[in-house]
Amino acid sequence: MSAFAAMAWNGFREARRNRVTVLVAAFALLLLFATTLVTEVTVSTFDRVVTDFGLGVMSLLLVFLAIYLSSGLISREIERRTIFLMVSKPMSRSRFLLARLAGNMLTLGVLLVAMTLLFWVELVLHRSPITQPQLAALWGLYLELFILTSAGFLMSTFASQLVSALVTTGLYFAGHLCSDIYNLGVKSKVELVQWVSKATYYALPNLERLNFRPRATYAIEVTAAELGSATLYALGWGALFCVLAAIVFERRDFR
Amino acid sequence: MTVASASDSSLPVSIRGLSKTYRVGFFLNKQVKALQGLDLEIAPGQVYGLLGPNGAGKSTTIKILMGLVRASQGQALLFGEPPDRPQVRRQVGFLPENPSLYEYLTGREFVTLAGRIFGLSGQELDQRVERVLGEVGMGRASDLQIRRYSKGMVQRTALAQALISGPRLLVLDEPTSGLDPLGRRQMRDLILAEREKGTTILFCTHIISDVESLCDRVVVLVGGRRVQEGSVQELVSAKAPSVEMVVHGLPLEQLQALGFTYEQAQQLDSRVLLRVPDADSHGLLQAVISKGGRVSRVQPARFSLEELFLDAMKQAGGQTVGGEIQ
Repeated sequence: MSAFAAMAWNGFREARRNRVTVLVAAFALLLLFATTLVTEVTVSTFDRVVTDFGLGVMSLLLVFLAIYLSSGLISREIERRTIFLMVSKPMSRSRFLLARLAGNMLTLGVLLVAMTLLFWVELVLHRSPITQPQLAALWGLYLELFILTSAGFLMSTFASQLVSALVTTGLYFAGHLCSDIYNLGVKSKVELVQWVSKATYYALPNLERLNFRPRATYAIEVTAAELGSATLYALGWGALFCVLAAIVFERRDFR
Repeated sequence: MTVASASDSSLPVSIRGLSKTYRVGFFLNKQVKALQGLDLEIAPGQVYGLLGPNGAGKSTTIKILMGLVRASQGQALLFGEPPDRPQVRRQVGFLPENPSLYEYLTGREFVTLAGRIFGLSGQELDQRVERVLGEVGMGRASDLQIRRYSKGMVQRTALAQALISGPRLLVLDEPTSGLDPLGRRQMRDLILAEREKGTTILFCTHIISDVESLCDRVVVLVGGRRVQEGSVQELVSAKAPSVEMVVHGLPLEQLQALGFTYEQAQQLDSRVLLRVPDADSHGLLQAVISKGGRVSRVQPARFSLEELFLDAMKQAGGQTVGGEIQ
């Protein structure tokens, strides 16, 4: 196992032994089971409700975990001074940072897969089809988690866990409201509002581009081009946050 | 100090004009000079002590060498190369002051992780983990989570991870702090065992007895500056020598009336302990005998490293804590 893989695996092990991760995962699985209860109040749109509720639960809890795990990962290492033993090892700071990010993404990926399997079991039990838009929505969710994790990481290199978590949560909401903010500017007659709304739109990742959940609910197919474009978009933003995090982290003194 | 070129790859540590200024305060408008133009060279196989009060710049020096802190000026090299190169770090084991380990791991898992980062794997890694955990006395407790460890156990596990790669240079920051007397003794034995293997050891402490018993050479830092450097023997014998005498048969008052300047004069029951500069010892001996006194012991007084340390601090203006603030 290479140094990078060892650090990434350690990140996964850390999350696995973290009570919050375990509790959230257990809660998510419980909620997915509870999908059965939702079907009791559904008359004709059974498939839609199961898909919407299932994907919604997964999205909400995984976003919470992504923010919680990423915002404290580096700042906690600095506060607890475990960073001294890691940064002094034969591994560059950037590789260390990326390995920690990879560990986080591995944790989120494993949880997403576990939740997806349970979600599919629910669908099969209720004789609902597993559709292409559902898969696209799951991939979109993972890309969204990647952007949020990278942003949390960037904040975590220079701010405390609380500040990192607040900023990343703000980014999550702003990222989903980006298009609305842009449209507000388009409709406004005030030049300053137009300018600010456009600047906000371009300065923040538009997380709605990765949100295929409504289409999964209504079983509207997502094309390969759309998926490819969403993937590149997410990778671009993630890479930008990672590069900025590496620049900040490389310059830091650990006193 | 040995003279060699700054990039001499045979030197485990070579430092030239090293300075570090920290910016502090809400607006980062205050500067603390933690290190000021430090020069240092450590030859292979030496046990080298960094001695100084709190805030003298010892830990800053070590952190620059370990790539944790960037120098403001000057150059620090390990085996002739900048310390941030991975191939250099592979040859260095580091034990920080009050080490903090991943508490969710067991001691064995942590040392194994450290070994993997050093590029070890398979059977070789397993064997080394077993060996170093045994060497530091953590063989039996290594499968407990670190959050259940005492401070001494954490210190030992941290030392084990420093030894996992079989380093050519071992950097230890306050290795005996927080340990009980037995733990300190074992830590000292481990350092000596590493020296026997030919490992170069740089260690920083303010426990002077550790320096005296372990170090070949010492540098004394005060306020970020080097105030003394040399072998322990050189440093303690460089001071103007003095002589201790034990005199019987003459009271202290009569001895004081002889007109000599005593560094120490103390009545001990029926005898008097005197310490005089070596230049006066012959005259005092004759004077005591001529007055009917008897001298039972004459010996050179040992100047301890502790006195040297206190002396160095006095020379530096009594500055004991922190660097120079501007």
